Amino acid sequence: MNKNNRTAILLLLLGVGSFFTSCKSTDVDTSSSTGSTTGSTTGSTTNNSSSITTTLSATATTTSCASTGVAQIVCLAEAFKSTLSSTQQSTLQLTYSKANAQKWSNLPAGMSARNGINLGSLSDAQLAAFRNLMVAVLALNTTNEGYDEMIGNLVADDYLNTIGGGSTYGAGNYYISFLGTPSASSLWAILFTGHHYTQPFTFNGGVSTGVTPSFRGTEPQAAVTAGNRTYAAFEQERVAFANLLTGLSTTEQATAKLSGTYNDLVLGPGQDGKFPATKSGLQVGSLSSDKQALVLNAIKLYVNDLDASLAAAVLTKYTTELANTYVAFSGTTAMSSQGDYVRIDGPSIWIEFSYQGGIIIRNTPHSHSVWRDHTADYGGN
Amino acid sequence: MNGTSFLSNQPTNSNSRLSGWLLLLVSLLLASGQPEHATAHPMPNSVVQLNVHPHRIDAELQIPLFELQSAWGHAVNDSSVGLVARLGPQLRAYLEAHIRPQSPDGRFWTVSVGPMSVHESQNPINGVYRELTAQVQMVPPAGNDVRQFRFYYDVVLHQVMTHTILVSVRQDWERGQLAEAEPMQVGTISLDIVNNRILPLPVNLASGGQWTGFIAMVKLGTQHIAEGTDHLLFLLVLLLPAPLLRAGQRWGRFGGVRYSSKRLLVIVTAFTAGHSLTLLLGSLAARYPEWADLPTQPVEILIALSILVSAIHAVRPIFAGREAWVAAGFGLIHGLAFASVLINLQLDAGPMALSILGFNLGIELMQLFIILLVIPWLLLLSRTPSYAIVRLTGAFLSGIAALAWIAERVSGQRNSLTTGIEEIVGYAAYGLIGLVVLSLYLTWRNRPLIDSPGL
Repeated sequence: MNKNNRTAILLLLLGVGSFFTSCKSTDVDTSSSTGSTTGSTTGSTTNNSSSITTTLSATATTTSCASTGVAQIVCLAEAFKSTLSSTQQSTLQLTYSKANAQKWSNLPAGMSARNGINLGSLSDAQLAAFRNLMVAVLALNTTNEGYDEMIGNLVADDYLNTIGGGSTYGAGNYYISFLGTPSASSLWAILFTGHHYTQPFTFNGGVSTGVTPSFRGTEPQAAVTAGNRTYAAFEQERVAFANLLTGLSTTEQATAKLSGTYNDLVLGPGQDGKFPATKSGLQVGSLSSDKQALVLNAIKLYVNDLDASLAAAVLTKYTTELANTYVAFSGTTAMSSQGDYVRIDGPSIWIEFSYQGGIIIRNTPHSHSVWRDHTADYGGN
Repeated sequence: MNGTSFLSNQPTNSNSRLSGWLLLLVSLLLASGQPEHATAHPMPNSVVQLNVHPHRIDAELQIPLFELQSAWGHAVNDSSVGLVARLGPQLRAYLEAHIRPQSPDGRFWTVSVGPMSVHESQNPINGVYRELTAQVQMVPPAGNDVRQFRFYYDVVLHQVMTHTILVSVRQDWERGQLAEAEPMQVGTISLDIVNNRILPLPVNLASGGQWTGFIAMVKLGTQHIAEGTDHLLFLLVLLLPAPLLRAGQRWGRFGGVRYSSKRLLVIVTAFTAGHSLTLLLGSLAARYPEWADLPTQPVEILIALSILVSAIHAVRPIFAGREAWVAAGFGLIHGLAFASVLINLQLDAGPMALSILGFNLGIELMQLFIILLVIPWLLLLSRTPSYAIVRLTGAFLSGIAALAWIAERVSGQRNSLTTGIEEIVGYAAYGLIGLVVLSLYLTWRNRPLIDSPGL
């Protein structure tokens, strides 16, 4: 066999090989691509097993990304990307721009379009790779917090899909995008955003530079069952605020009480960088240490949603600044009625929680909440 | 975001009729404005729509009751039934205290709250919710311009920090903007979050003029006829047998060009005289509130009936020789429908006078344009023996359309026929082409032409 023939055969083999690879990567599991959801209501419990949340709840598959920190996140991001077809990759991979980073909302994607690729279009293999990435950036193995809270959020949206919300709702309508190419040295971000869940991760120079603005909420606020699990994705946060506010003395409550009424978040989507010049309410530094701990408990339910490698520095900063942080509320301290509202505003931290009117489940309040950072929103960009 | 507008809460004009004439006249017609894009705000906002008059502004407020209850209490959302009867005076006082336009010289305007009502509204984000609608009159101090003011408005917002008010101009006659078009956004009033204050909205409306207003009315007139299938159909069907001589109880042969032209001219003039008269009287009557409510439904039914009558006449002469009187008589009815368009604009006397003139001019121009497009071919056709088939087909189809409209307007329910008519009318331009081809073909086939002995 002469040299020319060998080259030809090699090229042929390469061609056949890449043919198979491309087949595999575009082979979309139809059962998951439809994002089909089955739901039933029996008494107060509901069962919502969607193929997406079922796949995402499965035990993590092993990955070859043995590195740690941002290098591991980059590796897992690349691994997820490599499971996608070239068309899917171009949908996922965008350039980093503030405009792209700001494209999130508290509305379903059908009412406020998102960038990126939606979970409903991913195959089981692709969802598994997505899962591997998310468990690296979100805390794992804490019930209704971190990654588990994200699944509970998707399960709740699947439930809204089945009870009359329609196809606008459901796990399939949550989008992931990469803004900038995953890199251990330059600027890039992961943005995962859907109806009641938005979580960005911004990296630059091989470190995490921002994990906000982060939006959480859930409808229904009540527990939703999927498979053999019962999720209450955002109930612990509501209870933590109620504990904090009811734990205050009458005088402290009077200082913390805002004169205005808040039926919604003040710094929701589209309200970037508009932090009030003057902080309102009760200064945490004036409180006893046990009451300060209640404030920190509420903060931890946001910050500790993230993997410890991302959360540690942020939590240290917020703890250091705790004395100069303010708590304010409107409505009742029980955080159980429509119109109840609480805000934590510090030198860096900004958290708002709004218990507001139901949309799909009318006359039943549900939560909206935003966590921002005065300087690190969008990684400071 | 889908294109659904928060501003689309206003009641829409239900009798807008699409027409294929639009295809012919796109250049003459106004393009509709871009719909507003809803923000990510999940709570329903208030809407303030301004109707700018020469010496005052009428504002229509739409306030979601849930938000009003948060600000004002009184369980306005929890028990909204009979709200206006129960709390009318208090509500008026509340609104008047929170709506304070201010002229550049620092003087505040006189604000009075008129009729209020509660109704349901809907958007895709909030679903169904109830809101209060209030008509508010705002008059600047004597000598002050209505087009420049600082709009201090904090209804609901004085208490509910997350509330937003969208202010837009719904009608500004002098700028040629009429209520039929999409409202023009002026701005948003909401909390200045950084400084924790509520700023007034500066309103600076560009000045217009009577000429702009007049031209807008001419356009509205042409548009109204172009879209008013029933008005045109009445006239065209009445003109169908006009070129023919009467032969006993039947229609005979072509009466000659001079005979035809004279009859066409007389019928069209009579129709114009009739509808101009009632357009004038009806619009002027709007000055008197007790007359202002024109009986829309009977007028619409009579218009449909007028088409049926002229369709029967096109089959068999039932009022031959008296067409002018019939055209004038039914013209009076059609004019009342035209008047209701002007009355809905709620204009002051000066603009109203110019509007009657402009609107009527627009109507006549469009009517003339359509007649000039159609009649030559009708005249050509009427000289051929096949005209009877054309005439009977036209009369029969128009009669069915008239019956369908009568049924719709009596019952208040749309039916498949009227929906179908709207669709078919979209192809009117092709119909005209068909008419041209048919008339040319039949004229060519029937050489030598049958001409009246008089010519």
